[in-house]
Amino acid sequence: MRRWGLVATALFLSSQLAGCMTPTEPGELFQLTPESAIHRAMQTRLFETTDQTELLSASAAVLQDLGFQVEESVRDVGFLRATKERSARQYGQDIGRFLIFVLSLGHVIIPVDLHQKIAAVLIERPVNPDATRHEVRIMFYRVVWKGEGQADRQYVPPGEQKMEMLRDPVLYQQFFAKLSKAVFLEPFTL
Amino acid sequence: MRRAWRATLAIAGLLSVQGCTAPQPTQDLLAPTEAQMKMRSFQTRTFDVKDRQLAMRGVIAALQDLGFIIERANESLGLVTAARFAEPNYYDVVGITVTVRQETEARMMIRANAIHNNKPIEDPKVYQNFFATLERSLFVTRE
Repeated sequence: MRRWGLVATALFLSSQLAGCMTPTEPGELFQLTPESAIHRAMQTRLFETTDQTELLSASAAVLQDLGFQVEESVRDVGFLRATKERSARQYGQDIGRFLIFVLSLGHVIIPVDLHQKIAAVLIERPVNPDATRHEVRIMFYRVVWKGEGQADRQYVPPGEQKMEMLRDPVLYQQFFAKLSKAVFLEPFTL
Repeated sequence: MRRAWRATLAIAGLLSVQGCTAPQPTQDLLAPTEAQMKMRSFQTRTFDVKDRQLAMRGVIAALQDLGFIIERANESLGLVTAARFAEPNYYDVVGITVTVRQETEARMMIRANAIHNNKPIEDPKVYQNFFATLERSLFVTRE
C-alpha cells in the first residue's frame, strides 16, 4: 500500500516537472501564421514621399517625443532602435500580493513587476522601384523585471525577467498619428 | 610472488608509457567536418537579386513578418541580427544572424544561422521555412 503511494507521488512529481518545460518547436517559429498578416497591417503604414531621410529622421523625432532614446540607427537600410525604461508597478499586483500573503497565512509572497524596458524597432523602406512610396513598420516590445518574493521558506530572488511583444493597436495608431503630423503626410494602411 | 611483482611492474610501465604519448593534434583538427559542410549547405541559398541593399531590405522584411525584433543591421557588411521570444512562452529566445553576400554580378548568397536559447538549430526544415518566407518577401519587394 505504501509503495503504491510512493509510486503515485513519483508519477505526480514527474508530471509536474514535465509541465514546467513548455514544448516550443523552434521549427514552427520560422513559419508565417494567420496572425502574421494582422500584425503586419497593424504595424505598417505607407507614405507617399521620395524623401527617405526626412521620413526616418521624423520617425526618430516622434520616438524622442514619446520619451524613447535612440540606441541604434542605420540609414542605408532605414533602421532605428529606441528604448525607454519605466517603472512597472501596478496597484492591482500589489493588492493581489497582499491578499495571497494573507490567504496563505504569510507563507507565500508573490513577486510583483518592478521595472520595465520598452523598446521600439522601426524599419523604413521603399516599396516601389521609383521609391516614391515608403513603408514604415514599427514593433514595440517590453522586458519586465520582477521583484523579490517568497514561497514558504524558499526565498525568490529579484530580477526574474519576462519579455513580451506589445500588440495593443492603440499604441501603434498613436505613433502613426504623430508621425503623419510630423511629416505632413496622410498615411495609407496596407 | 615474483611473478606478481613482474606483472605489477609491467602494468606500471604500460601506464607510464601511455601517459607519455599525449594525443597529437592531427592535421585536420580545424578542417571542416562533413556535418559542418552539411549544415552550411542548408543554411545557405542563392537568389537572383542584383542589388545587395534590396536583398538586405528583403531579409529584414521577412524577419519582421516572422515577428523578429531586428537588433543590429550593418549595411556595408550585409549583416542582420534579429531575435524573438519563442511565443507563447516568454522565457525562450530564438536568435538569427543573416549575412548577405554578392556571389556573382546577378546573384546574391544569403546565409542564416539560427539559435534557440544559445543552442544552434540544426533542423534543415527550420531553414527551409525561413528561406520560403524570404523568397516571398524578396519577390514582393521586387514588384
